[in-house]
Amino acid sequence: MREGTVRIINPLGLHARAAAQLVRLADGFNSQIIIRRSDNNASANAKSILSVLTLAASIGTILILSVEGVDEENAFAAIDNIFKGGFGEI
Amino acid sequence: MKRVGGVIVSHGQLANELLAAAETVVGELSHITAVSIGWHDDVEIAKEEIERAIKNVSEGIGVLVMTDMFGGTPTNISAMFLKENEVEIVTGVNLPMVIKLASHSQETSLSDLAKDVEEQGKQSIYRTSALLEPQKLKKDA
Repeated sequence: MREGTVRIINPLGLHARAAAQLVRLADGFNSQIIIRRSDNNASANAKSILSVLTLAASIGTILILSVEGVDEENAFAAIDNIFKGGFGEI
Repeated sequence: MKRVGGVIVSHGQLANELLAAAETVVGELSHITAVSIGWHDDVEIAKEEIERAIKNVSEGIGVLVMTDMFGGTPTNISAMFLKENEVEIVTGVNLPMVIKLASHSQETSLSDLAKDVEEQGKQSIYRTSALLEPQKLKKDA
């Protein structure tokens, strides 16, 4: 399993369209991808937009990204990248 | 994979706008359509429109009709098309319900999907201040 933290840096946080981008990306990988808030127990399946939205993650939120599966290295890198890029919004 | 089709039926332009909002989030939805019933439309015309919409989105494994409000005309007209394994109706449509229908990925039976969409709609309603209450308590402690 590959695990690490990502920080939300885009001003609107993990809103609907950003979450949709994340889910489209995550869907392309075989691995199971779970995102958890570091400040409470909320966790979400990165392949379900409605699940991701329940995290209510705003700018500055630190999330723990856990990826497990055959393509975990690539999936982790791609998702880490989309967070670092602020979902193309900054 | 065959998909369960979807028809959103509402008073006014709500149905069209809900579908447009869902498409903005998840992309084009060719298996979901919207029927907006004008406030002064004839019931027979509305009935024909819904019937046509159901036919258009059907891929052969059923169609889920999502209406705005139980007891309202859109629901009452849609109810004429209820048929086991062919047409199911869930009322009180909201955006998470449309997204749920849009994003189901495995082939699911119409009745199971209808239950999932109903459940999703209920679960997606939050009184947001209630979510913040435990954190407030923690800060106070």
